[in-house]
Amino acid sequence: MKFHFRAVLVGIAFALTAGLPLTAHHSFAAEFDANQPITLKGVVTKVEWMNPHIYFYLDVKDENGKVVNWAAEGAPPNALYRNGWRKDSLKPGDVITMNAYRAKDGSSTVNVRVVILPDGKSFFAGTADDGGPKGPAPVKP
Amino acid sequence: MRKLALLCVAALPLIAQSAAAAAPDISGVWQGPYTPDLTKPLGHDLPYTPYGLEQFKNVVHANDPTSYCLPVGPARAIQAPMPFQIIQSAGTVVLLFEYQHTYRLIYTDGRAHPEDLDPFGWFGDSIGRWEGQTLVVDTVGIGGDRTWLDTAGHQHSDQLHIVERFQRIDADNMKWTVTFEDPKMYNEPFTVTLPLKRKDTVLMMYSCEENEKDRKHLDAAKQ
Repeated sequence: MKFHFRAVLVGIAFALTAGLPLTAHHSFAAEFDANQPITLKGVVTKVEWMNPHIYFYLDVKDENGKVVNWAAEGAPPNALYRNGWRKDSLKPGDVITMNAYRAKDGSSTVNVRVVILPDGKSFFAGTADDGGPKGPAPVKP
Repeated sequence: MRKLALLCVAALPLIAQSAAAAAPDISGVWQGPYTPDLTKPLGHDLPYTPYGLEQFKNVVHANDPTSYCLPVGPARAIQAPMPFQIIQSAGTVVLLFEYQHTYRLIYTDGRAHPEDLDPFGWFGDSIGRWEGQTLVVDTVGIGGDRTWLDTAGHQHSDQLHIVERFQRIDADNMKWTVTFEDPKMYNEPFTVTLPLKRKDTVLMMYSCEENEKDRKHLDAAKQ
């Protein structure tokens, strides 16, 4: 199944304009640090389309060429489904960039806000109105 | 006289049906704005007692009952970012929540709260009555102090008493007004109002236990 760009983009527009809230399970600030935005580019290794949040994993090469597998938490699948996502919208092997916020515990875990596909199209995957920063995380140059 | 009595008895179901029919129709799928922090719609801090302030200052987010996928409580279920469905019948209004895939029963048959409340009643005991276009719901016995009022960590004691007003505005809009009273935690009752909108969707499945991964990070973050 192809990625539903149109549906996703319509969904994102709806989510952003309507301020659709996307999570309820825990406080953003209790787990993630709004002062630690991070941009990661890598290969999707695994997708867990499950409650209470989707998780996907990304192999990212650090400055020394060492590959680190990052875990990215997104919105609950129900909210993503209503925004146009489907279970196979993101697949292992996809090369993506995402901007996100790091977990406070220092682990390789992030709260994802925006996923950017190789062709530059982007979509909101995260947790609006969860107490975290509004909008996408700033992208580091 | 006996005929009259029989006539009255025979008419009772009709009277009951008529009363049910007279209640405004608020059935359907509804959703309000996600409200993880009650001080936001309130516009100011909560009126803590010294004990309540101490509890809030020392709150440990890893202890949020929902982090353990435990029941969310009656009002916070409506504050959640997922839709819920109202089903009306004579004597009962049922709220089905997508979040946590759980429910509330509100008895509208005129009964009082039971004297012997369920000590494990995470959602408390709810009784309701209609005042014109408004369903007024009174809830007590909310599982001791185990639920939280919101995700920000505002807590309550075993003395929590909640009064909600589901006011039908039109077919697609309601106003939900909730008053929290808890003299152990808060000096005075405080009231939050949220708009509820009818949603063109169906309830989906949600299982918090399916792939819970946050708790270990919450525990680590508090160190």
